[in-house]
Amino acid sequence: MNKIMRHGQVGRSAPRLEAREKATGRAEYVHNLRLPGMLYGKIFRSTIPHGRIRSIDVSAAAAHPGVYRVITAADVAKVVPNPYYGPAFHDQPILAIDKVHHVGEPVAVVLATDPHVAEEAAALIVAQYDELPAVYDEVEAMTSKAVVHDVLKPAGTFPDLKHLQGKTDTNVALDFHLRRGDVAKAFAEADHVFEHTFRTKAVLHLPLEPFVSVAETTGSGLTIHTASQSPSFVRIEIARLLGWPENRVRVKVPYLGGGFGAKLYIKLEALVAALALIVNRPVKIALTMEEQFFTLTKHASTFRIKSAVSKDGKITGRECEVWWNGGAYADIGPRITQKSGFTAPGPYDIDNVTIDSYSLYTNLTPAGALRGFGIPQLVWAYESHADMIARALKLDPLAFRRKNILREGNAQATGTIMRDAAIEAVLEQVSARMDWEKPFARSSGSVKRGRGIAIGFKASISPTTSVAIVNVAADGSATLYCSTVDMGQGSDTANAQIVAEVLSIEAEAVRIVHPDTDVTPYDMATLGSRSLYHMGNAVRLAAQDAKAKLADLAREVGVPEGSNIPIAELFVKKYKMQAGNIIGTASYIPSYVPPEAETGQTPNATPFWMVGGAGAEVEVDTETGHVRVTRLVNVGDVGTLINPRIVATQLSGAAVMQYGFTMQEQIETDGGQITNASFADYKIPSILDIPPMESEAVDAEQHDGPFGAKGVGESGTFAVSPAIANAIDDAVGVRISELPITPEAVYRAIRARNGDPLEDA
Amino acid sequence: MRAFELVEPATLREAAASLGADDSTIRPIAGGTAIVLMMKAGVFRPERLVSLRRIERRHAAIERTAEGGLHIGAMATLTALEHSADIRAAAPVIARMLRNHSNVRVRNVATVGGNLAHADPNMDMPPVLIALGARVTTISSDGERSIAVEDLPAGFYQTVLKPNELIAALEIPAQHARRSAYLKCTTRAAHDWPTLGIAVSLGDNDARIVISAATERPMRLTAAENEFRDPRKAAEAAADTVKIMPDARGSIPYKRQLVRVYVERALRAAMEAAS
Ligand SMILES: Cc1cc2nc3c(=O)[nH]c(=O)nc-3n(C[C@H](O)[C@H](O)[C@H](O)COP(=O)(O)OP(=O)(O)OC[C@H]3O[C@@H](n4cnc5c(N)ncnc54)[C@H](O)[C@@H]3O)c2cc1C
Repeated sequence: MNKIMRHGQVGRSAPRLEAREKATGRAEYVHNLRLPGMLYGKIFRSTIPHGRIRSIDVSAAAAHPGVYRVITAADVAKVVPNPYYGPAFHDQPILAIDKVHHVGEPVAVVLATDPHVAEEAAALIVAQYDELPAVYDEVEAMTSKAVVHDVLKPAGTFPDLKHLQGKTDTNVALDFHLRRGDVAKAFAEADHVFEHTFRTKAVLHLPLEPFVSVAETTGSGLTIHTASQSPSFVRIEIARLLGWPENRVRVKVPYLGGGFGAKLYIKLEALVAALALIVNRPVKIALTMEEQFFTLTKHASTFRIKSAVSKDGKITGRECEVWWNGGAYADIGPRITQKSGFTAPGPYDIDNVTIDSYSLYTNLTPAGALRGFGIPQLVWAYESHADMIARALKLDPLAFRRKNILREGNAQATGTIMRDAAIEAVLEQVSARMDWEKPFARSSGSVKRGRGIAIGFKASISPTTSVAIVNVAADGSATLYCSTVDMGQGSDTANAQIVAEVLSIEAEAVRIVHPDTDVTPYDMATLGSRSLYHMGNAVRLAAQDAKAKLADLAREVGVPEGSNIPIAELFVKKYKMQAGNIIGTASYIPSYVPPEAETGQTPNATPFWMVGGAGAEVEVDTETGHVRVTRLVNVGDVGTLINPRIVATQLSGAAVMQYGFTMQEQIETDGGQITNASFADYKIPSILDIPPMESEAVDAEQHDGPFGAKGVGESGTFAVSPAIANAIDDAVGVRISELPITPEAVYRAIRARNGDPLEDA
Repeated sequence: MRAFELVEPATLREAAASLGADDSTIRPIAGGTAIVLMMKAGVFRPERLVSLRRIERRHAAIERTAEGGLHIGAMATLTALEHSADIRAAAPVIARMLRNHSNVRVRNVATVGGNLAHADPNMDMPPVLIALGARVTTISSDGERSIAVEDLPAGFYQTVLKPNELIAALEIPAQHARRSAYLKCTTRAAHDWPTLGIAVSLGDNDARIVISAATERPMRLTAAENEFRDPRKAAEAAADTVKIMPDARGSIPYKRQLVRVYVERALRAAMEAAS
């Protein structure tokens, strides 16, 4: 299945380039960075969900021994007159101005040379608020009297947000609509109509390296060292905030201790930049684990899905209404609402579809991208719904899916024709691995067994650009300059393999220069599984450019075509000594056609599709509701495999993360206050929780991907949740429609099905 | 966290003497796994910590007594208990319980004394020790005394220990033919603190059945003990009488169901256990 390329560099499981550095503690992280004269900042945060700031008394904090200075929005205004930032809306102030919009919003910062002093002093700040009514639920936010922002302020970068400019009295930060065919007619003529609602709760990225940024003023401007997934965006946004040209802002990113979408766009960068400019000393802010709960979450969501189905099980119409709980600031939520929203009907061939997808402001921690960009929330609903329909019609869940699956060459809901999307192959491989067509042993006493499958898909965000530089030195060694951030996903290794394949050298010999916006060229961001396709193509083209220039050099110095003379000798022939270099460059932007505003239709919705399927076997303890997943099969379409081992670990890692979101994790809140903001009470899976797993890719190829490859970071998350819920239904005949699937929820559902509901809490 | 004084006395007696009679900002620290979390959360802000790390080594010893019981120094780590041949011989239920207790990093430093003095109601070891009939000996400027583990907790994170009183050792009586079991139930993750713990020690004519985590403090389930020969009846009696505390791990009705299921399962496990 695995294609090894001509030079054997692409298609082999090269060990990770950074493994030794990391295992021996030599890898660079912002957390370890200390600069001469550096101050530590500690953020004082809002304790209420929504209110007008009456006063902020910083006198006790400022007088605390060892405190250098206390900063509020008034100080920030002196260096950044219009201090609102964000990728979709300019809605987020560097420090709260006039109002606070969620518990944990930064209100002031204490600066000190000792971080513990800063922390002690921050506790001495007293803020008084006039509380305002708050809204927490995404569906209520559609109509609630409580309005989070007085005026909407779209950033202007996205055309589909322009109509929201200056709007008041609304919490809707984007409404996306798709219309295809005649849904009313499909429902009128349907043999069966099914309607269900599914919900997910807010969960967290929780990289083990929390957010951390350092800013220092330099002769020419500012340097920001930051654990960011999007150095180019940080540079552009800081330059915009300061009214500077891009070249006065330098953003450097070493390794990240995980990101998962949390460290995108701007997080602490605008704050440390403002602080460094105010005090003219380097400033570092490193958040605690607890503070991550106040920074960014994955969207809680509600999805109402309604299907028209013929008596032989063909879906003829589907209505999707999705509400995304965006929290107090939009972050990238509106893009999720649209870019993921248009896949809400699922990987099925349905002629008549409507989608209404709403991004909502609420008085909670802002929500953003988290490994799947909204897709896992959608798949949770449409694949649970799929099994409920199949069960009601007494159809086998696999047969029902086969009947309706979106095949190569079919039009997706946007009208885009499916190409290089191995949906069918993934479905078939999941069912083959699960031995779906063989009998299944079900019960042993009070513990019941069941199994389920699910499949989901995703479009890559578009249009986005990547630029790469390949530098061949006079001794023939090659260095890649690119702004893709290796946060643990193995991008350095994969990019090195691509360079090595083109230049016929060893991947291990390629050096990677990490993102430094003064040195490495532009990249949109490391997000949404886009890098291997976009940056991978740019890297491949840059290496080809270098190779072509080497061929030119060979011609110039009179070396015959096809000669195997070492590269170093070409340079010596030209420069008479070891000197000079060859620079190959390329930028890559795929084609794309934006959807029509009214109908969401476009002939080219995405450069590529990602597909993820899962199968689960479970044992349910009917006396306690405990669910043990005894087997989890993950299958993805990732195109060809640049590095098979990294592909397998990306698929399994994504599945483990989604397993946590399925069975364990939720941010618990009470009146807008988070009550479990620590690893002690917010439980991610440990090695003891992780089920036995099998993870693999189907044999596939993305025709325009680098060597046939495409993204792999998220596909393993898509289908895990509904596969498990479907298995639970198979085992005990109950349907869980809200994540996470706690033992109590399962036990209550069993009791309710038995007609003997457990009394309320 | 702000600066504080750390003292490291060389003897247990000196350590007791360094504690204030009624100063809540001075506390002993053993493994530090519980108290440092409280300091990081800001709920405990010490002026002085009295470390027990340098006290006499014998306070970390695990010994078999002449009667066949166990004498365990307060500074013995949970890992030492988990792997002790004497524990496996005299009270194997402790070693079995520890395998699912916290994680190996915590067990390597957490101590028996710190565990019992912490008095977090959501713990695994206290119910087991109560079922085994264990006692602690303590030391303070007023002298030594012996307290049943059952009587140690005084409520939520509270013990009957005086501020200048230290746990010196744990005494576990010989179990003879008694058979024991402990079942831990978690509802949020495998490695979580328990949602419910049920410990059982069965004699020929009696049973000690102890609940923890779902209740305000670990306690005997006397109504269930009276029905111990019939696990199902005992389970119903326990569920009917116990006063349950709800939390994020489960509601009252759900935890009551868990009590019903786990009391029965724990009793059956004890019946099947080797003595
Ligand atoms: C990640 C994690 C997971 C955990 N999971 C579990 C679990 O699954 N089940 C479970 O039961 N527990 C669990 N725990 C709790 C753990 O059992 C306790 O933290 C530990 O036993 C405390 O022991 P220590 O020696 O570290 O105490 P310390 O933190 O040093 O002290 C705890 C308290 O006891 C006092 N103290 C210490 N020694 C003495 C003494 N000799 N005499 C009098 N007072 C003393 C201290 O002043 C303090 O008040 C977990 C803890 C952590 C951090």
